[in-house]
Amino acid sequence: MTTIAEATGLSKHFGAVRAVDDVTFALEEDRIHGLLGRNGAGKSTLMQLLTGQEFATSGSVRVFGASPAENASVLRNVCFIKESQRYPDDWKPKHVFRSTPWFFEHWDAEFAEQLIDEFRLPLGRPIKKLSRGQLSSIGVIVGLASRAPLTFFDEPYLGLDAVARQLFYDRLLADYAEHPRTVVLSTHLIDEVSNLLEHVFVIDQGRLLVDSSAEDLRSSATTVVGKANTVDEFVGGREVLHRDALGGLASVTVAGLDDAERRAAAAAGLELAPVSLQQLVVRITGTAQKEFEVSA
Amino acid sequence: MTAIALTQSPTRTPGALQRVVNVVKLHFANPYTVLINPWIILIGIFLVNLAIWAIIMSQVTDPADRADVTEGFSYSGSSLFIFVYMMIVAIQAMNQTFSFALGMSVTRRDYYLGSALTFVLLSAVFAVGMAVLAAIEEATSGWGVGGRMFTSIYFGDGPWFERLAFVFLAMLFFFFVGAVAATVFVRWKALGLTVLLGLLGLITLAFVALVTFTRSWGSVGEWFATTGFLGSALWSLVISAVAGVAGFFILRRATPRG
Amino acid sequence: MDDSRPIFLQLAEQIENEILSGALPEESQVPSTNEFAAFHRINPATAGKGVNLLVDDGILYKKRGIGMFVTAGARERLLAKRREGFRTEYVGPLLQEARKLGITTDQLTDMIRNEDTQ
Repeated sequence: MTTIAEATGLSKHFGAVRAVDDVTFALEEDRIHGLLGRNGAGKSTLMQLLTGQEFATSGSVRVFGASPAENASVLRNVCFIKESQRYPDDWKPKHVFRSTPWFFEHWDAEFAEQLIDEFRLPLGRPIKKLSRGQLSSIGVIVGLASRAPLTFFDEPYLGLDAVARQLFYDRLLADYAEHPRTVVLSTHLIDEVSNLLEHVFVIDQGRLLVDSSAEDLRSSATTVVGKANTVDEFVGGREVLHRDALGGLASVTVAGLDDAERRAAAAAGLELAPVSLQQLVVRITGTAQKEFEVSA
Repeated sequence: MTAIALTQSPTRTPGALQRVVNVVKLHFANPYTVLINPWIILIGIFLVNLAIWAIIMSQVTDPADRADVTEGFSYSGSSLFIFVYMMIVAIQAMNQTFSFALGMSVTRRDYYLGSALTFVLLSAVFAVGMAVLAAIEEATSGWGVGGRMFTSIYFGDGPWFERLAFVFLAMLFFFFVGAVAATVFVRWKALGLTVLLGLLGLITLAFVALVTFTRSWGSVGEWFATTGFLGSALWSLVISAVAGVAGFFILRRATPRG
Repeated sequence: MDDSRPIFLQLAEQIENEILSGALPEESQVPSTNEFAAFHRINPATAGKGVNLLVDDGILYKKRGIGMFVTAGARERLLAKRREGFRTEYVGPLLQEARKLGITTDQLTDMIRNEDTQ
């Protein structure tokens, strides 16, 4: 495994707000990383630091072995697609795609054209008149067709409907398989992407809470359901991530169980239910489930 | 693990100059903002003037009177408007493309140098364009109606190359004052721009007060007289250069926000 | 691909099922890792892990530059493995549950026979 980027003790403060707070992690080459967290958790700021768009308050960022800030030799291999990307007001999408090949040396014009078709992006309509979803699709297309060795997608799907989002995920996966590269996908629609991710970061209030392979994370928790006293007996001194009770029934989410423990639970008449990545993040960040669902 | 990592084909690293040129191309990707709109405005002003000249001249028949009127036209400041408009073009161009350029992984350094080069190019294009129009104006005795816009008195009364140089220098001045205003706006938003304008106002006021209270208006006038028309214009290069350098350092720490 | 077990295990098991059912005959080519990934909408690295599990078990083998194939005799070996698994995973719990409910082994065998003839 080769480290593509790393942050060490990285912090970014805006006045009293610690947008990113003493974060240390590494991005490995040719992996799809998920950067998960609530709105305002610090995901965007973290990506801006990694792409040299923001300057760190303290700590260090290394991308391709050097600081990304004002470093053309680093940035030429980086593509950062952000939800809030501004385009010149008097532009049309065609102007965007006219200029992207100048800045991304791996740009694939044919692939871009295919995506423009698939996302039904009107190239000649003024940017100001595009819908939120069409605006997002510009970013998605640039991010995919640029084939940058390190690509960041910061909530790239705002306003895209379920069909278009699935199209994005499918094209990302297929193109990544053909042209492996390092991807960071920041999202709060975790269920939709959980199977795409190889590695997961969870950030909350600027702090990194989880840095784990997606597979490990998926098996790191199980929900045990059954009669309250049986459940409690089984759970014993384990760390409880979440607990619900309904009458005499209890539903408790605990850290991962091994095969023997699973058999023991079954023998005790308890039901085991998987915990989705999304549920897990909700538990970890103590958030209402609602925040991780598509809002209309 | 999937061992299918294709090796990235080695591609040419764009050199520093190429990266700067790419930013120039970015400014021209949609040529309306920096090139077409200013010309439309310039031509628009010209056409309005042409109509006014024609109307006025239709009422003046005596040749001596006509010469006087043409002389009067040369004091019209219509073409000065295009310079102020250039300042707005500079502010717009930078404010509109800065976030986008950073989104395209351009460094602030390359972005600023590319923008500066764009402004120098535009100054040259407009200076040459206006010199051509001035030549036509002279050749046609004021577009056939004795009008004067591109040979206005404000561009000096020297030969065509002096006028060209003056227009070029004036364009540079307004572009780079616009550029520094744009960087202030990009970095500190409206508040920064307000403070900047306030400061400039104060400096101007202080200068005027200084000259007035020391009763030095005479020496100021003398300075302009001895430095000459083009000489004074050349001094604007100092301000343009200071603005250009200041803009660079202001932008180096700017971050694209919302 | 959505129960609680690791995705790569689920993928490996699914390929095994297809070999058992004959959908993937021995010596036939199996889809590539990327095709599996795209089809199941999972990370290619995860798909690769599942496929490599079967390669390590000798169920699949790689032909350099061509792709992956089902090993001769793979079906037989899988059957044997699954039969052993059937005993521990199904018969064991069945007997356990039967005992809990007071069903004797004889009653259980009768139930199975009746069920089978239906």
